[in-house]
Amino acid sequence: MTTTLKEITALRGLRCRACGALQPADERYVCGECLGPIEPEYDLDVFETETLRADIERGPASLWRYAPLLPVAAPATHWPVGWTPLIEANRLGDALGIERLYLKDDTRNPTLSFKDRPVAVALARALELGLDTIACASTGNLAGAVAAAAARNGLRAFVFVPADIEPGKIASAAAYGATVVRVKGPYDAVNRLCGRLADEYGWGFVNFTLRPYYAEGSKTVLFECAEQLGWTLPHHIVVPVGSGALLTRQATAANQLRATGLVPESHFHIHAAQPAGCAPVSDAVLDNWRPVEPVRRPETLAKSLAIGAPADGDGSVKIVRDTRGSAASVTDDEIREAATLLATTEGVLVEPAGGVVVATAKQLASRGVFHPGETVVLYLTGNGYKGGPEETALGPVIDADADAFRLAYEEVLA
Amino acid sequence: MSVTVRLPTPLRSAVGGERTIEIDASDLTSLQREIAARYPELAARVLRDGAFGRFVTVFVDGEDARFLERNADLSTAKIVEILPAMSGG
Repeated sequence: MTTTLKEITALRGLRCRACGALQPADERYVCGECLGPIEPEYDLDVFETETLRADIERGPASLWRYAPLLPVAAPATHWPVGWTPLIEANRLGDALGIERLYLKDDTRNPTLSFKDRPVAVALARALELGLDTIACASTGNLAGAVAAAAARNGLRAFVFVPADIEPGKIASAAAYGATVVRVKGPYDAVNRLCGRLADEYGWGFVNFTLRPYYAEGSKTVLFECAEQLGWTLPHHIVVPVGSGALLTRQATAANQLRATGLVPESHFHIHAAQPAGCAPVSDAVLDNWRPVEPVRRPETLAKSLAIGAPADGDGSVKIVRDTRGSAASVTDDEIREAATLLATTEGVLVEPAGGVVVATAKQLASRGVFHPGETVVLYLTGNGYKGGPEETALGPVIDADADAFRLAYEEVLA
Repeated sequence: MSVTVRLPTPLRSAVGGERTIEIDASDLTSLQREIAARYPELAARVLRDGAFGRFVTVFVDGEDARFLERNADLSTAKIVEILPAMSGG
């Protein structure tokens, strides 16, 4: 299969992270030599820094402004995914004891999670390959992102999810017209089924057969943070870890930003955030950087992070170590408290994974990981409107009467 | 005791294009040993130092082999499945 990719980006090929072999950017999705994970590699020397910076700044208000650093061009049907706000969070910062705190609010993507980013890039590749069906194994957010992208492009979509998923998440996927397949067992069972089906059907499984492209979309979170901070890297980012693809691609993004001269050298640390009920990466980091041990039965409120056997688990541990970062695993109670703190101090409503990130930042701050004057960015990757941290505490229903209001809400008014 | 091992597309060229292979093995250790002995090309891709590498996931009747003992009995297993280790919700 020949492609036109090399004409539109600096893509050199797909490099295996395990054996190092450089391979052509064809339909392969794992290394042909060793079955290891393959990632796009770019010839970054082709860029002149100021020209690249100007091109990006002139680009669309979406992740496609970074098209030169992506493995595929924007399709004609692209829509505004990414370019989400980076918000100063002084009230939350005061509560956590972090002086310069920012929120990367990726809850504001078209389907309310960061998954719209990897799907945008995977979809562009699917269109390039002429596929008529896209699919995924999902803990929820990816299902919605795939379903919406398929709808917008007239493709068929199958999304496979654990049967115990939050109804709000699959309701949206179904509304977009996807076939939602609920599978008994944890995410890893869904994943196994999809690995098999990806082999039998010629569909574009975004997180299998399109994975080398899919994962590249996640780089754009850090590209945006750097640009929004005036072309400099934050000192710290706190990243939720499910499969580890988001975390590992932040290191790739930082390397590419530095190599192209878009940002100066500075110290940059990546921290992993996981729920205690499924923390294979955080546990490995905190247990002296040991190899990741899969979790057989994840049990956590943060279902979007309930991946017991993360494909990029060991890669995540290595990157946290290489960047001199750290990790935390937080309980369901800490997750709830943190999500509430975020909502009540900054007006941002997140799914439990966001609570995991805020709770992790709290732990890291109390350990003295962040120093005064350092910028800290929390990655908020999923919106609470799709199924937040349990039912919101609501007050009593009252008659349309002022006295009834005063009586029922006496405590709040005091 | 013969076990059926199902292979994904990227591995089939290592066994002459077959989707499945039959291997005499009583447990995971002997399965790995037999793969090394009978299918050196497949072994080069999936084994590291004689054991399944970290870039493949092996399932025994749907159960992730990492949760099984190395000497777990394969005599009643219907199928062993080897897949590239990928996930991402």
